[in-house]
This record gives sequence, structure tokens and C-alpha cells, in this order.
Amino acid sequence: MNQPLRATHLYQFHRQKAKLVAFAGFNMPIWYKGIIPEHMAVRTRVGLFDITHMGRALITGAKSEAFLNYVITNDASVLTPLSAQYSTMCNEKGGIKDDFVLSQLEQDQFLIVYNAANREKDHSWLVQHSRAFSTEVEDVSDNVAMFAVQGPEAQHTLQKIADADLSKIERFKCAWTKLAGVQAFLSRTGYTGEDGFEVFVWNTPISKPENALKVWDAILKAGEEFGIEPCGLGARDTLRLEAGMCLYGNDIDENTTPLEAGLGFVVKLKKEASFIGKEALLKQKNEGVKRKRIGLRMMEKGIPRMRQDVLNESGQRIGYVTSGTFSPLLEYGVAMAYVSVENATEGATVMVRIRGQPLKAEIVKFPFYDPTKYGYTRQK
Amino acid sequence: MRVLDYEIPDDLYYSKEHEWVRLEGKEATVGITDYAQKQLHEIVYVEVQKEGEEVKQFQTMGTVESVKSVSDIFSPVTGKITEVNTELADSPELLNQDPYEKGWLAKISLTDLKKDMEKLLTAKQYADYIKTMET
Repeated sequence: MNQPLRATHLYQFHRQKAKLVAFAGFNMPIWYKGIIPEHMAVRTRVGLFDITHMGRALITGAKSEAFLNYVITNDASVLTPLSAQYSTMCNEKGGIKDDFVLSQLEQDQFLIVYNAANREKDHSWLVQHSRAFSTEVEDVSDNVAMFAVQGPEAQHTLQKIADADLSKIERFKCAWTKLAGVQAFLSRTGYTGEDGFEVFVWNTPISKPENALKVWDAILKAGEEFGIEPCGLGARDTLRLEAGMCLYGNDIDENTTPLEAGLGFVVKLKKEASFIGKEALLKQKNEGVKRKRIGLRMMEKGIPRMRQDVLNESGQRIGYVTSGTFSPLLEYGVAMAYVSVENATEGATVMVRIRGQPLKAEIVKFPFYDPTKYGYTRQK
Repeated sequence: MRVLDYEIPDDLYYSKEHEWVRLEGKEATVGITDYAQKQLHEIVYVEVQKEGEEVKQFQTMGTVESVKSVSDIFSPVTGKITEVNTELADSPELLNQDPYEKGWLAKISLTDLKKDMEKLLTAKQYADYIKTMET
């Protein structure tokens, strides 16, 4: 495990402007100005993230859709070229191997973008199961730079340097366009709850970073008038948490099923294809889950953190926190937790044991913020 | 004095855990240093033991949380807490903005100042220690 940390194309930028942190084997920015100003830039204006550390694989072949439908829980057959979907893939027990966004590039070709920490695991899982479908799985992670432009001004920012009309790209749709003269792939997706795009700069290994740097610089410059901030992994985490999105390794893992995680909308038990984990998930669905992922809003001062106990009002343990933070937008502690299903009632008061002290929290739905005021659902 | 990016007032004493001590007769005011607040960044929660409670040198006397991290505060001296800075409950950012004045944590009536002093650093010694941390 003592390998030197890997760098992205933007390493020099990060080194000069950010506090760095080791994440999934990469030397990544945790914050530039600070988690709070970066978080607020994305919630109210626009932010730019380097997410090149994520894993990317191309799935190609006449049976690529059939193969995907065998390994993933969502239904790949509803995708059309230049559209995307969120999905999970599971082990035989229904435990989540990973969660990811799957895009269809063209007939018989898909792009899967998965978690940085799962790069090797996912790649070998996909390769292993692709053989029966004579489908090619090509890890293109090291050949592509990837950025996220997120926030209510994301479209305005990118439009200034894009050839394509971005207003025509709906959420979870994709497009090829030139960005600052560089060929790029865009998907209207993200991990912040806000409107925004994920930008792929192809054929750009770290040994030839010029195109990546050009696009990054052009986005920052285009966003200047909107108050863009480069954002680190710190804000990425607080943003996704406020939005109620899972972090693999914290909120979901191989011992958690998508049904327990509240990700039932990406489990298509009625799709034609049989898929890995289907039997277990079907059984769990019929019997009902025993525990459930919920949102917690602290009613007292105190910040909930991973692994803290959740108690009912009479002090019995009903579950545990899987992610917790101070919410920069709401300015109180918020958390995701798993609690036994009979205790998972929205609006109920529970306790989080923080350093021995039970502090009151309310079970709330996701996202934590008012979706009519923030996020991609905001009313303009 | 100022060392690298950090303010280190000459008239205070310091611990290697980055707390400072201001001596006022048999009482000491304590807090976290400029170096500590800059490392923690964006402090959003502070919790200190209550008035009347005993604290021991280099043992936990509280917790400070930034958005992402939780850190213990170690008391730089031994004694009894006589007052805590109640403003920090609503304004934890005072630790970032003014770590040596408005961001003070607690006042402690000292039990054995002489013994405490053996293990505290002068401003000059703390400055040298910071330099070794940064290289």
C-alpha cells in the first residue's frame, strides 16, 4: 500500500492553490479557499472540481447491453445513445459492489464511471463477467481527464466556451462538443445535487496534459463573472451529503443492499434480463428490509460523525451514523444513518450519541435542503 | 513574533499539542495557537469541559471540530476550570479569527504552576518546534 501517490493533470495547480490530501491513491485537493466558501459557490453560483481520480471504462460489443443488464441492477436497455443513468452493481447476496453513472455513447458502446477507490475491483469484476458476452471492457481511466462544473451558473459558464447549445442537453443526457477548442464529452450529471455537467477530455494521458489544462483554465476564466471557485474533495463530500447522495465505503458497501440504502429506484426487478444479486434482492423486497438509510437533522448543537450510535428516545440503540458533517448551507449537523425499519419514521425524534452524550435529532427526508430553493429542482 | 505564516505572541507559553497559556498570577487563560487554527481551518464547533471541573496537563479538556475533522484539545496546564468562553458556542469561528484573544477557551486556576512549566515551551522554543513541523 506504500506506493507513491498518483497525480492528476492538474497537480501543479492543486499543489500551489490547495491543501492536498491522499484519496484513493491520488494526491487530491481537499480545499482551496475552504470547504464552506467552495460549498456555497456551488449551491449559489458555480464550482469546478477535478475528478480525474474516478474510474472510467468503455464497454464495447454487440452484446454490451446484455452484458450490462447482467451485471447492473438498473435497466441499461432504456438508455439511448447520449443518455445516462445512475445504477449499482451487486454481488450474489445483493450487496453493493459499487454505484456509478452509466452512459451510452453509441449503439453497442457504453461508458461507466465508478468510484476511485473501486477502480481495480470494478474493472476485474466487469472483465470477469464480460467473457460470457464476448464484450470488451477497456479501462480508459488514465487516458481521460474529468472535471465537474456544478451549480446554478454551470450552464452559463460552460456555454461561453462550448460549441454545442447546452440548453438542449437535459439532465442525464450527454453531448460531444468542443470546449475552448478541445473535443470533449459532456454529461448533465453530478454529485452535488445541483444542475451541472461532468466534462470528459479524451485522449489526454497525464504525460500529455495540455488539453486538460486548457479546458480547466478556460472554465475558470469563463466562470469568473459568475464567481466560480475551484472546489476540493471537502466540498464535494459536504455537497453530496446535503443532497442525500451516498458515498461508497461510508453509506453503502458490499454488506448493504440498494433496497436498504433507499436506492430501490435503480433496482429493476422486472427487467427482462436476470442479473447478479436479483434473487437476493427479490427475496429482500418481498420480505421487507430490516434497516433503512435515513437522514438526520441535529436539533441540538453537535456534529454527527461516522460510526456514532443512533438511539431512540428511551436510549436503546436503533442504528448508527454512516456519514455526518456540519452543513455549510443549513449551518447545523446533518447525517446519514441506518436504523431499524420500525424506527425509521420521518419526523420522529431520535438521539445521536456524540462523545457519550445523546443529542436530539430529527429523521428527515433527502435532500436536507429545500428542493424548491436549492439543487437542480430549484424554482428559478 | 511571526514564524512562517504563524503568529506566536512572545508573552505566552505553549504546548507541543498547539495550545497556548497566558499566565495571570495563579490563574491561566488557555486556547489553541494560530498554527492549530490554520491547520484545522473553518472551525464550526467547540466543546470545552465545564466550569468547576478538574483538568490535567496534556489530558483532554475539550473537542474542536472543523467541517471534516474532529480534534481533541489537550489542557496545557493542571488545575480547575474557573470560566469557559461561552461565546464560542454560537461563534466557534472566533478560534479562526482571533485565536489569542476573543478565541480563548477557558480560565484555569493552577494547582502546580512550577511543574506545568517544566513541560511548556517559550515562544522561541515553540517557534523552533513549528519550523520542524513545516519541513
